[in-house]
Formats: sequence, structure tokens, C-alpha cells
Amino acid sequence: MNNLIFAWRNLWRNRRRTMITSASIFFAVFFALVMRSFQLGSYDHMYKNVIESYSGYIQVQHKDFWDEKIVDNTFPYDSEREQQLLADENVVAAIPRFESFALASNGPQTKGVLVMGVDPEKEVHLSKVTDKMVKYRLTPESIEKINQDPNIPEKVKELAPLFENSAYTTVSRLQLDLGIKDKDASQFMPAVERYAKFENGSIHMGESGVWVGDKLSQYLQLGIGDTIVLISQGYHATTAAGKYEIKGIVKLPLPDLDNKIVYLPLDVCQGLYNAEGNLTSLALAVNNNHDRAIAETVQRISAVAGEDQKVMEWREMNEVMVSQMDADDKGGQIMLGILYLVIAFGIFGTVLMLTSERKREFGVLVAIGMQKRKLASIMTLEMLLIGLLGILAGATVATLVILYGVEHPLVFKGETAKMFEEYGMEPMMAFWTIDTYYIWQIVIVTLMVLLAISYPMRKIFGMKIVNALRA
Amino acid sequence: MKVLEIKNVHKIYNSSEVKVHAVNDISLDFEKGEFAAIVGPSGSGKTTLLNMIGGLDTPTDGEILVDNTNLAELKSSKLIDFRMRNIGFVFQSYNLIPVLTAKENVEFIMSLQKWDKKERDQRTFELLKAVGLEDRVNSRPSKLSGGQQQRVAVARALASKPKFVLADEPTANLDSKSTETLLDIMEELNREEGITFIFSTHDARVVKKARRVITVEDGKVISDERKN
Repeated sequence: MNNLIFAWRNLWRNRRRTMITSASIFFAVFFALVMRSFQLGSYDHMYKNVIESYSGYIQVQHKDFWDEKIVDNTFPYDSEREQQLLADENVVAAIPRFESFALASNGPQTKGVLVMGVDPEKEVHLSKVTDKMVKYRLTPESIEKINQDPNIPEKVKELAPLFENSAYTTVSRLQLDLGIKDKDASQFMPAVERYAKFENGSIHMGESGVWVGDKLSQYLQLGIGDTIVLISQGYHATTAAGKYEIKGIVKLPLPDLDNKIVYLPLDVCQGLYNAEGNLTSLALAVNNNHDRAIAETVQRISAVAGEDQKVMEWREMNEVMVSQMDADDKGGQIMLGILYLVIAFGIFGTVLMLTSERKREFGVLVAIGMQKRKLASIMTLEMLLIGLLGILAGATVATLVILYGVEHPLVFKGETAKMFEEYGMEPMMAFWTIDTYYIWQIVIVTLMVLLAISYPMRKIFGMKIVNALRA
Repeated sequence: MKVLEIKNVHKIYNSSEVKVHAVNDISLDFEKGEFAAIVGPSGSGKTTLLNMIGGLDTPTDGEILVDNTNLAELKSSKLIDFRMRNIGFVFQSYNLIPVLTAKENVEFIMSLQKWDKKERDQRTFELLKAVGLEDRVNSRPSKLSGGQQQRVAVARALASKPKFVLADEPTANLDSKSTETLLDIMEELNREEGITFIFSTHDARVVKKARRVITVEDGKVISDERKN
């Protein structure tokens, strides 16, 4: 009889045990894949937020700026050098920036802020600040209008005050917080959008005006048209001070940055710090952002950059976050290791029981003429089938969850969202798409099954038939 | 024609405290077509002797020749192959393969020997008919009674036309009716196929049917009687 049919029938001798073992493998594969996808997706999302909101993938800086972030460590903008940078195959755009710190004040409130001088048009290539402008805000007035609208459901009216003064950059997030289902959106959202609409102005090179982070605006109690006062130390210890009209509010995905960012037009910012024509960095937008491509681009760019300049990649510029993520990653791997260990013991327990139960049968089979290697191959097939059932089922369900999750990240709201924000994270969990980690989890579980098979193999090849027949 | 020769066989078990001489200098010959019973009290050494004859255990000293082949000279995988082609086994607890049907259990050894399917089917049908189970070919062991299972085991033992069949207490777990049926079947197959049957048994009914009775006590043959 074919070994495979033999193994398949053996599998269903103890249906419940096979199902339990396969289920344990199923859960191991499923949780390993989903947990890993969650973890990697969240890291990627955080990295992207930081990179795209702030650092960019590569920056050209004054060689001393990273160690001592003062405006004296800036370099003059050089269009020829910019062209050389743009000539690199992986560089899409060079975005000039002037970055420093200042004390910001409005009335009695004062706060240390990050001042970012940007060219709003060029930022479209990297930070896309305009996409992060607040478009809706649930002000007390807008909530009042929602309450007075007889067509809006009571549930929405109950939820709206919970989000008083919350700002939204997308309509979908506003809809989520107000608990309006997609099927009802066309009915209620137009009115809600109208009531909560938030008008921003734009900033332009050569024109005084700022955009501030949503959290910072709330802290300093600033609204559109209000004035913010900035004071700092300028180039070569001059005094840098100025007052600027708030033209717009941005809501950055990183709460920490959102709490301290002030965007000025680049030339206005250079004027504030008395460093006309100087830059703290040229952030580079790239085509290919894979680690290897970035490293190669850095290498090429370094050859083009001036002697007083330094080329840095995003990992160097976000060391703290990268090491935090690395530590979290290790923690995740330890958790996976524990999960594997528990499952491995489960599989081994099954194998142990199965071998012990069938010891006599093994003896009979060899006594009547089955070669030990054939018996071993049947046992191997049997265990692989159990493993395969669990692995395939786990991988299939996990794939569906991951593919759905990639398209529909988990967005938290209410108290959970606040908790995330308190930890400086965007209230969202993203999935990472199917990648090498996926193969690895499956390989590890398969290896666990193969390792468990070694026990019956040892028993079969070391078996004394007389002893086995007495079992 | 001799199918089995046992020459001065000893089996000594060395435990930490005592040395047990389970088989002590036994020499026996078996001719083709014999229907022999090895009898003796518990612990007399009959199962040990049967295990050594079947190549399941090795003698401490002496030789066992099956069709002039010394079992001790065969390496593990060769011995398994030799056993499959020359020796049939019937165990006390039937020991059928639970995931196979009666038919598959009988044809199992023929499959291992890669018999042609047609020949295999024909032989299986003949044997199952001979043991009166032609209507239970597709039943798994769990659906058969103890007596029926033992009849399938006999058919399995005879499937590949071995030189002899070793049956270790084949009737120990059977009621008297099943025992009678089984013994009649084995006797008939022995006559029809000319295959040697060697039993170890306590059962007086088996002894009565046997044409040769070998009595073993304390690892020694104390009598070897042939009936006419």
C-alpha cells in the first residue's frame, strides 16, 4: 500500500488528537504571522511617519549640525550642488530646509518649539504638509449645529461632545469618531462636514505667516488669524525674534512632533535667524527607499557633497526611534519564541503519545516484513501531514487577515486613541504585507515538526522487535 | 524436506542479579507440512524459542537454519526481508493493522513483496474464502470479532506462501467455538497448502489437533511425540 495512503489513514485513527495537534500548529502559524505582520507594519508606519513628516530618507547637512544643532552650523544654498544631487538616479527632489528651536508665545503661554523653514511647494515631494492640514474640527459651535440638526441621529449627537476640539485631516476619521457607518455616510456626512469645516490659509515664500501643529495650537490657544511670537538665538549670536500670523493648523501623525512644530516659509525663517541664503539641510526625496538603495545613494551623494557637508540617512537621524523599535522587535521575537516553545511541547507530547501507543504495532509491522525505513517514512509522512494541515490552514487564514489588514489598518478611536497619543504614537496599527518574515514563520514551524519526528525515528530504528511485541 | 533446523540453541538473559537460562540446548528439526505444538508451563521458554525461530530474537548460542539459511548471519534489513518471504506469524492478540480492511491486511505482505495486483487479489480472495470471511473483505479489524480477526491473521500469515507459520498462543483469547473453527481452518490450510504450522500453546484443544507435540520445561525439550 502506498505510504501516503497509509499515513493518511493513520492520521484519522485518533481524529480528536490529530485535530488538536493540527489546531495547535494552526494557531502557532496564524498568531506568528499576524503578530509579525502587525509588528513590522507598525514599525514601517512609524518610520514612514517620521521620515515623511520630518527627516526624509536622506539629508545633506553642515558637517557639525547633527552634533550641535545651532544656526551657526548651516551652509549656504548652492544651486549648482543641488543640480549635482538631483543628477543622482535615485534622487527625485532636493528640499531645502532651515531648522532651529525657538520659544513660542501667545499671551501667558510659552513653549519651546521646533521651527522649520520650508519651501511649501517643494515639500510636496516629501512631507506633503498640505495633506496634513486640519480640514475639520469639532468646535463647540460645530457640535451645537450638529445637535440642532434634526436629521442627524441621536447617537452621533451623543458622541460629538466626546471629541470636542478634535481636529481631522480626513473625512473618514471624522466619520469613524462619530460612529457613522459607511452605508449612512452619504445621508449624514455632508451636513457634518459642513458644520465641522475648518478653513486654513496657505503660506508662501516671501510672505510672513506660519502653520502650527494642532496640539501646539491648542496648548498656546492659537487659532487662524492669531499671532505667535517666536524668540531665539540667530546666526552668530544675533537675536532672532518675530511675530507671525497663524495661517493654518496642521495635524501631524506623530503627536510629539505635532506638539512642537511651527512651519515658516524658508526665506522668512532664514530672515528670522539672520541667516539669509543658508540651510540646515537639504532633504532628499528618493525613488527607491529600500535600505540597500538608500545606502548606495548615500555613498554616491557623499562623493558629490561639499567638504563641509555630511550626508545622513534616516536611521542615523532617528537613532532613538530605531533603537526603540529594535528593542520592541526583540521583545516581539521573544514572545514568538515562547509561543513556538509552547506549541513545540504540544507537538512533542502528541508524538510521544503516538509513538508509545503504537510501539506494539511497530513491532508487528517489522516482524511481518515491513522494513524500518518504510515504517519511518510512513511516520514522517504522517507527522508532516499533521503539520501541513495546521500550517496550510494557519497560513491561509493569516494571509486573508494580513491582506485585509494591509488595505484596512486598524484605526483606534476614543480613549484607546488618546492612550496611543499619550505614548507619542499614532492611534493606528498597520499590517506589513507578505514578505520574507512570512516564509520564515512557516519554515520555523515546519522545522519544529521535523524535530519532533526525530523521536519516533529514534524509537523505530532502535527498536527491538521482541520488546515492542511485549508492549 | 527440512524447512527448519534448530541446533543446540541457548538463550540466556543476564539481569543484574540473576542469570536466566530461558532456552537450554534445544535441537529440533521440522519437516515441510508439519502441524506441531510446543507445549509447556508458563516460563518454560516456548515463546522465547518461537521468537528465536522467527528471527525476532537472537540465540545466545547455537544455530537456527531456515531452509538452510542461518538467521544469525543475516543483517537487520536482510533478516526482515527473509522473514517476510519465509515465515508467517500469528500472534495471541491478532495484531492486525487497524487502519486496513481485512482484504488489505491479508494482501499487505504481498504488497510489500510487490506482487502483481491480479495475483494478489486472487490469493487474498482464496485465503479469505478459506477462512470463511469472503463477505467481510472490506471490514476493518474493529468491526470484526476476536475469532474473525484471528482468522484474518491466519490468512495474512499464509498470504506470501511462507515456509512455515509460527503461532504464539493463537487461541488464548478465543472462546471454544472460535477456537474450534480456527483450528479446523488451520488444519485444512496446512493440508491444502502444505505449509508447516508451529504453535506454542497451553490449549488442550490445540494439542489434540497437533500431529507433533513438543514439551518444553525449564528451557529444555523433555518430550517430542509424533502422532500417526
